[in-house]
Amino acid sequence: MAFVSPNITAFAVEATEYPDLARKYQVSGVPKTVVNDTVEILGALPQDAFIDQVLSATAARDDTKVTK
Amino acid sequence: MSLIAPAHQEKLRDAFNEMTSRVRLLFFTQTLGCETCPQTRQILDELPALSDKISIEEVNFVLDKDKATQYGVERVPAIAVVGEDESKQAPGVIKDSRIRFLGTPAGYEFMSLVHAVLLVGGRPPSLTDKNRERVMAVTTPLTLQVFTTPT
Repeated sequence: MAFVSPNITAFAVEATEYPDLARKYQVSGVPKTVVNDTVEILGALPQDAFIDQVLSATAARDDTKVTK
Repeated sequence: MSLIAPAHQEKLRDAFNEMTSRVRLLFFTQTLGCETCPQTRQILDELPALSDKISIEEVNFVLDKDKATQYGVERVPAIAVVGEDESKQAPGVIKDSRIRFLGTPAGYEFMSLVHAVLLVGGRPPSLTDKNRERVMAVTTPLTLQVFTTPT
């Protein structure tokens, strides 16, 4: 996704080497994906579902957002 | 001695042979106080040996703060995957893929790094056409952090 969009940056974080980050985002299982500190995705999802979740962060600042 | 079994080296060499453009791995490191930096360097050193399209550029995190800031690197070891623009025949012109690895890319993370290198090296993204369009339409800056553990 980062490769395709200039607005997206992706970090693969090794949780045991970055325990403070893991703690900050309460990582108790992996993979866990955090998007803009607002959306959390647990586990591996099929591509369509994963992208739905990631893109939901673009609406996170919108008060009219419908929570699934 | 290589960290990668000969059979795997052969497979990786074949995969890297498909690369159409050069990829540089910016390796952010520091001499003191970084236990896993030498191990990360050792892993990264495996890659240029398998493809002349892959190079490693070591960036001193302490001395080159500007570059660290530019790539959003706050700690070491960290790796930024960047493409080298060959069409302009201008060495040093790089295209940031905005793909980063924080921590040692060992175990399964090594394969993630290999996939990132292949992607930046010219392999088509695994996104479906529809998802590719959706992602390209993103106008809000998004930062993804994918947490993993060594396995």
